[in-house]
Amino acid sequence: MLRRVLSLPSGRLAIGVLVLVAALAVLGPVLAPQDPLATSGTTLAGVSGSHWLGTDNLGRDVLSRLLAGSRVSVLGSVEVALVALVVGAVPGILSVYLGRTIEWLSLRLADTLVALPFLLFAVAVTALLGNGLTQAMVVTGVLVSPLFYRVSRAATLTVARSAYVESAVVAGASIGWVVRRHVWVKVLPPVAVALAQTVGTGFVIVSSLTFLGIGVQPPAPTWGGLLASDLGFLAYQPWAPLAPALLIMATVWACNVLADVVRDVSGEAGRALVAARGSRPPTHPSTPRTSGGVS
Amino acid sequence: MMPTTHPRRRAALAALAGTASLTLAACAGTASSASDGGHATLSWATSYFPTHWDPVVGGSGAQFRELALVYASLTRTDEHGNAVPDLAKSWDYDAAGTQVTFHLRPHLTFSDGTPVDGAAVKAAIDRAKTQKDSALFGDLTSITSVTAHGLDVVVRLGQVDYQIPQLLGERVLQVASPKAAADPAKLDQNPVGAGPFVVSRLVPGTKVTLTRNPHYWDAKDIHIDTVELTSAPDAATVVSGLQTGAYNFADIDPSQASAAKKAGLDVFVQPGFNAENISINIHKKPFDNPKVVDAVRYAVNRQEFVDKLTFGYGEVTDEPFPKGYVAYDPQSENRYPYDPAKAEQLLAEAGYRPGAVKVDLVIPAASPEAEIVQSQLGAVGIGVTITVDKNWATPFFAKDLALSLYGTTGRDSAVQTLTAHFGPNGPLNLSSPYEPAGFEAAVAKVRRTPLGSPDYAKVLQAATRTGLQSRALVFTYSDPNLYAKSKDVSALPTNPGHLDLTGVTVGGR
Repeated sequence: MLRRVLSLPSGRLAIGVLVLVAALAVLGPVLAPQDPLATSGTTLAGVSGSHWLGTDNLGRDVLSRLLAGSRVSVLGSVEVALVALVVGAVPGILSVYLGRTIEWLSLRLADTLVALPFLLFAVAVTALLGNGLTQAMVVTGVLVSPLFYRVSRAATLTVARSAYVESAVVAGASIGWVVRRHVWVKVLPPVAVALAQTVGTGFVIVSSLTFLGIGVQPPAPTWGGLLASDLGFLAYQPWAPLAPALLIMATVWACNVLADVVRDVSGEAGRALVAARGSRPPTHPSTPRTSGGVS
Repeated sequence: MMPTTHPRRRAALAALAGTASLTLAACAGTASSASDGGHATLSWATSYFPTHWDPVVGGSGAQFRELALVYASLTRTDEHGNAVPDLAKSWDYDAAGTQVTFHLRPHLTFSDGTPVDGAAVKAAIDRAKTQKDSALFGDLTSITSVTAHGLDVVVRLGQVDYQIPQLLGERVLQVASPKAAADPAKLDQNPVGAGPFVVSRLVPGTKVTLTRNPHYWDAKDIHIDTVELTSAPDAATVVSGLQTGAYNFADIDPSQASAAKKAGLDVFVQPGFNAENISINIHKKPFDNPKVVDAVRYAVNRQEFVDKLTFGYGEVTDEPFPKGYVAYDPQSENRYPYDPAKAEQLLAEAGYRPGAVKVDLVIPAASPEAEIVQSQLGAVGIGVTITVDKNWATPFFAKDLALSLYGTTGRDSAVQTLTAHFGPNGPLNLSSPYEPAGFEAAVAKVRRTPLGSPDYAKVLQAATRTGLQSRALVFTYSDPNLYAKSKDVSALPTNPGHLDLTGVTVGGR
């Protein structure tokens, strides 16, 4: 799959951006040129050799805060996606096999979760359980999980009703074996698309919550928090929100592009597309092949 | 040759032009509404939109300014902070100083038609002392009983206390109609007073429209017909609202002052008694060691707060009063100057290695003030973890926190300010029941001193000096009451701590 994704320019670009963001998350605090929490007398300073992105209202180096804030933003969004994956995909697959009652209950539960506004709910949960990113992200992940539930359930239903699976069941195959052998491979591509999408959505949610001051305790820097504090000083630094905003935009864009690319290269049609691109003559477009090529 | 235009494009252009004209007309309407048709409207965006409209329940100092649009008080303060007549036209003490009689103005009514008389004032005081959710009962402990005789109100005191006229002003005794107050829950969202304006429409937490009260005792000096008080949006957008004419008056954050000035608005600081402090609980570790408290005192660089948070509009203070106020004690000024080396030395003497002191700073909302405190204390080796607790008020007023921040808007009575901060039961004393030695006696002496006495300032400042011995509070800076207004709103009276619209005009009328 990765090779297929990387075979497309948009895939390479999206992966490149996300690798960069992941590197920032891992190395950001180390790369920060100054202590991101250290205040100084140089407040709201412009771009300079000592402060590449200027300083904030308390005289802290903005670049250092941006780098140090990467980890929270990345981990938060990944947390949302993983919680949503586990809470959504597993019941989505199992609902097909565990009988009508479980199926009905899980469907109604998914409908209910979809109806809840996750941002508002996350705010309420942090008010109830304390201001922490984990509780905010876990509850957001649960509320986003119906996406995975529906995607995995739809794919499972398709497989479960196919003749070769029914034959296997008649031949005595267990549900576990069917899921491992046939269902999982069919469910994986749409789940991968949903996962990439959800990481992007997670970034927006983390940025929104931290913009509102929820999920982290001050003075911990986050991209959303930086954006929020910058807005109060537009008269002095009208350009200041650009850096955190561009980082958020680029990351969400890369996640969405990656989701599109994964969708495009999945399945037989995706193989054909990749193969066609691989064998395309420099000047003449070719028709997609139906088999062969990169796997 | 005339250029031709496609019919569809022409229609689109016409629609665009129509929309533009409507938008401009709407904007023009908003911008000029302040004085349209000879009707003067003050459109006021406030960051302190009252959560409670029952003056007994609301405990916020800043919100009393807005409530004063509806409610009049027994007394008010002049530009020097002295008590002057409001509903009471005069008052006199008995010879012992334990009884004060207020004489009310005749022929006044609340906006529901109930007469403003001694019985109404007695009901207001009694309610403030006894209502279950009253935020004021602690301020009225000197009063033992109240009797009403027509337009006279006799207030009997448990001790000699010449502060009472100062006390029963806008901050503590805004008088509500007793008829309306019979249902406090209803009053809380349907205020009925005898102030300069009457509520005509109230959307809780969002907006209130008030119209001029023709029965207000000083109605001839109220020139504004309508006040539209709106809960201010984000601080960064208030100036835009003022520029577009959505508002013509607003309190603004100091960070927005520059933009407001550039937009051609009048930016001014209304005098006040604001003072921010670091609240310390000396009953909790590590502050049970006086040397650690002293280390905090020396670690605080007040000028940094002024520079970074008030953009130069505020001022440093190490007292709960602004410089120049009668209660401000010059002898106590700068007792603990910024000296980080001394702070480190004190921590070492207290037996703490650098970085060994760890404390939680609990605050109700994220604030740069807390981050500065964290940074300054961190610089001398006190590790501070900031914790935002939305339910902060409960542990703060239960005195369960070790370290917190508080800001006061002050009181009309200096004694009330002192007891609130330093008294054994003071709500702002995080170390209750601790009080500095000699404080009670010093305050009692102030109460016994008539406001007009030549010794009053000296006695009051001595009480301030005694209060400032407290290890429970470190005052840092005075946050400015910063406002912006359009040029067609005239200047406001400079009554400290209050917003008085007496004599204020909009659009020249």
